[in-house]
Amino acid sequence: MISEKNNSFMGPLSRIRFWYAILLIVIAVFLVRLFYLQVIRHDYYESSALSSQLKEYEIPAKRGVIEVHSGDTIVPIVLNETKYTLFADPKYIKNIDQVAEELQKVIGGDTSELKNKISTPDTRYVVLAKRLDKETSEKINNLDIKGVGTRETDYRTYPQGQLAAQLLGFVNDEAEGKYGVEQALNNELKGKPGLLKAITDAQGVPLASQKDNVLVESSEGNRVVLTIDIGLQQQLEDLLKKGLDNAQSSSGGALIMDARTGEIKAMANFPTYDPSKYNQVEDASLFTNPVVSAPLEVGSIMKPLTTAAAINQGLVDRNSSYFDPGYFVIDDAKITNIEEVGGAATKTVQDIIQQSLNTGATWLLMQMGGGQVNEKARNIWYDYMTNHYRLGKQTGIEQGYEAEGSIPDPNDGFGLNIQYANSSFGQGMTATPLQMAAAFASVLNGGKYYKPTIVDKLVSSDGAVDDKLPVVLNENVISEQTSKELRDILEYAFSKNHTFYGMPNLRPQYLMGGKTGTAQIPKPGGGYYDDKYNGTFLGFVGGNQVEYVVAVRVDEPKIGGYAGSRAAAPIAMGLLNTLIDNYGVTPRN
Amino acid sequence: MNVMSNRPRRSSVSPSNISKRRHKPDYWLIIFPSALLVVGLIVVYSISPGLAAQKGVTENYYASKQLIAVLLGITSFIIASQIPIQKWKNYRRTLIILSVVASLAVLLFGDKVNGAYRWIQIGGFSFQAVELIKFTILIWLASFLYDRWQNGEINNSNKTLKPLLLLLLIVTLVVANPKIQSDLGSTGVIVAMMAGMSFVACLPFKRIMLIALIVITGTTILVASSSYRRDRLQTFIQPQRDCQNTGYQSCQALIAVGSGGLFGKGLAHSVQAYGYLPEAANDSIFAIYAEKFGFIGVSVIMIAFAVFFTRIKYVIERAPDVYTRLIAAGVLAWLSTQAIINIGAMIGLLPLKGITLPFISYGGTSIIFVMAAIGIVFNISRYTTYTANTDLEKIEGKKIEGSTDRRRDRRTYYATTSRRT
Repeated sequence: MISEKNNSFMGPLSRIRFWYAILLIVIAVFLVRLFYLQVIRHDYYESSALSSQLKEYEIPAKRGVIEVHSGDTIVPIVLNETKYTLFADPKYIKNIDQVAEELQKVIGGDTSELKNKISTPDTRYVVLAKRLDKETSEKINNLDIKGVGTRETDYRTYPQGQLAAQLLGFVNDEAEGKYGVEQALNNELKGKPGLLKAITDAQGVPLASQKDNVLVESSEGNRVVLTIDIGLQQQLEDLLKKGLDNAQSSSGGALIMDARTGEIKAMANFPTYDPSKYNQVEDASLFTNPVVSAPLEVGSIMKPLTTAAAINQGLVDRNSSYFDPGYFVIDDAKITNIEEVGGAATKTVQDIIQQSLNTGATWLLMQMGGGQVNEKARNIWYDYMTNHYRLGKQTGIEQGYEAEGSIPDPNDGFGLNIQYANSSFGQGMTATPLQMAAAFASVLNGGKYYKPTIVDKLVSSDGAVDDKLPVVLNENVISEQTSKELRDILEYAFSKNHTFYGMPNLRPQYLMGGKTGTAQIPKPGGGYYDDKYNGTFLGFVGGNQVEYVVAVRVDEPKIGGYAGSRAAAPIAMGLLNTLIDNYGVTPRN
Repeated sequence: MNVMSNRPRRSSVSPSNISKRRHKPDYWLIIFPSALLVVGLIVVYSISPGLAAQKGVTENYYASKQLIAVLLGITSFIIASQIPIQKWKNYRRTLIILSVVASLAVLLFGDKVNGAYRWIQIGGFSFQAVELIKFTILIWLASFLYDRWQNGEINNSNKTLKPLLLLLLIVTLVVANPKIQSDLGSTGVIVAMMAGMSFVACLPFKRIMLIALIVITGTTILVASSSYRRDRLQTFIQPQRDCQNTGYQSCQALIAVGSGGLFGKGLAHSVQAYGYLPEAANDSIFAIYAEKFGFIGVSVIMIAFAVFFTRIKYVIERAPDVYTRLIAAGVLAWLSTQAIINIGAMIGLLPLKGITLPFISYGGTSIIFVMAAIGIVFNISRYTTYTANTDLEKIEGKKIEGSTDRRRDRRTYYATTSRRT
């Protein structure tokens, strides 16, 4: 060091070196700090970094399509369509007015609404419009507005329009199947979502430069082939609509089931909705499939089941006769018949069906109790309703929100005898048309209860086919002999009544029959309306064996006469004729 | 160290005419800035697409603008290094006028960002007035202190201390004022330049302490007077306290630095630049660099800065006269303080300031004026003496007794790193 001669505290050189030393110390301290941050505390900061940078994304799987039969071929009824969702990141939008105006020119709608959406505070993602087509999406992207983008979203599309809407259901914006098949088979349809684990930018866009990204491809959902025949479905919907109009009813439903397999061939209700515009539907009850999800007091269509139970118990046969007093008093309540039947007379079992005798059904129930409605009668009938005919529980059909209906407990409650007497002709209990159709089919087909189904097969994305074979839930609902006797009774009754049902001429080469029901509608507080009825009908058609069962309900028809025969039966006749004329019911030989 | 090869001094020089003692310059003063500029260019290039995507500009928007900035910087370096050193004194009035105009321009036509007026748009480039102010103060202060020193008035309160305090006041009102530029970082740099130059000019220690007291008091008032500075101070004291809001940039900077680890994630693998760390190309570029290149890369940069500062320190020590020594000292104060404030904030040792890292940060104005300043130091390095000059009077040709007289030394002059005495 050179000697210094200076009168101040330090000479210039020592000042420079003092300063320089401080500078080096600061740099050294910085290096130590950097070593601490980058080496010693690296793991901490690495995990901090990952916790914000590493994001997991579910890659939505393509949803399986839904197909139906069209005669011998299979056609789609629900497909997917890629649409575009327009979104904005308000953080990046400076000139809200201008952006809103530019977007409004492309997508239309209300500019001030767009402005409001873009102005949403504290969010980085606002959906501005949905279901834009590809062309519109490209136009928006060409505008090249910062903070505005579109993303692909799959939507369900319905090549058959509104057809079968309620049995299909829809897929909501969260990609969940709602109602109908979409809900019941959501797991099969939705497929397995893929997973993307990726380092992303602050906006969540994966960075291509990162090597540790994990990608598990999604696998497409199963293709579902329904048992529905599209032509029959169309016919059923047309006949139902026409029949309801004719009966001056605002709602009703119908279904056709194959009695040999439990397969539903067609099923519909009115009113219905357009599944492609499900989000515009105001009344959510339109989404349900009432023939499956809305139980009702079924009325006299119960009588064949009561009769079958009594015959199967060996208590009566079709020609057993009894003295019908015209009314019964049970638990202080009076059970009567419709006026036309007249007063006291000797009747046979097949008269009970043909003339729809409430007293007859009650008499059958009495036979189960050894001559009166009692605990024994109740328990036998309860056993038939719930275990043989499987009422009061879900059938397990592949539909959302299937209802159970209700069967009164045979041993618990008040007025059990009158309740049970009522249930023998379909009052005081509820069931869905589907439950009734399935039970009716089991009574007619020789005693096999087939699980009602709407699914023919599932086909996975790799082509594996899962054929859904018929499932018998009860092999011996009634005996073959009882079944034959029921077919005979019903055919006999039909041969007497067909003109009242709107079928002027019998078609003797076919086995046909059915039973009407005109059910009183219960008041919410108890008791029944005097002037409100639901019309129901259970019918069947076949040749040497019963092939199809139809069930119809018509809610509160305004047409005069009995709701069962005037409102429901004509629809059922139309269905039976269609089955014969267009769907190849095998005639007798 | 043959880069700093020498040129024999001409024996017939007059001591007061330094231009006659010209020798080869210190090329390290080109090499380090160039290397740092290249590093900055590479980092900006590598994150340019990510930044561009956020701002909706073309992919290489940032990289190409930075390239232009570097070319402009090189140009300003060349021009500044060619201007005779003594001539800079004559430009000080012009520079002051330009600074005033620029300050008014940013106030009148500038972009208001976070309540501050710092930039003005000129033909697609934004001009930051405070960089010109720093350069002006460098030139003005060197001339001023040199005059005072020449007249022996360095100890004179009225002649030296008061003008310095007045300058401090003006800077505070214009640069630090929350309602105008609100730039406490640059204020800090200017104060450091004033302090460094005054210190080297042998301003009495008591005076320096007085100024320091005023600065500390002033800073306290300024911090207390602006809510966002209070936030930044809070953030600095406890950055993890509020990582979502006020502490966001500090936290993200620490994450970037810390996640870089020993070796870094690699040039193309920065994540924090993609929208996480604000000002990734400008104020926060050191953290991005640390993320990419790790502790190894950071050490290289820190050592590069240290060696570069050392080269400037040699120029200060061996400056041929007091004026050039003050300029070199001002440049060292400028660059080192700016680097320290910038890096210190990134590693959580200093509060955040909106200030660039010299040579590396994205931004043309900083590069142009920093490179001009280096150009002057580079020019000075052509005239450095063989050994450190203790005795300013001596090299100024004034009579003073008892120091080494280099003209008695028979050897040639080298501008060299090694101390020969």
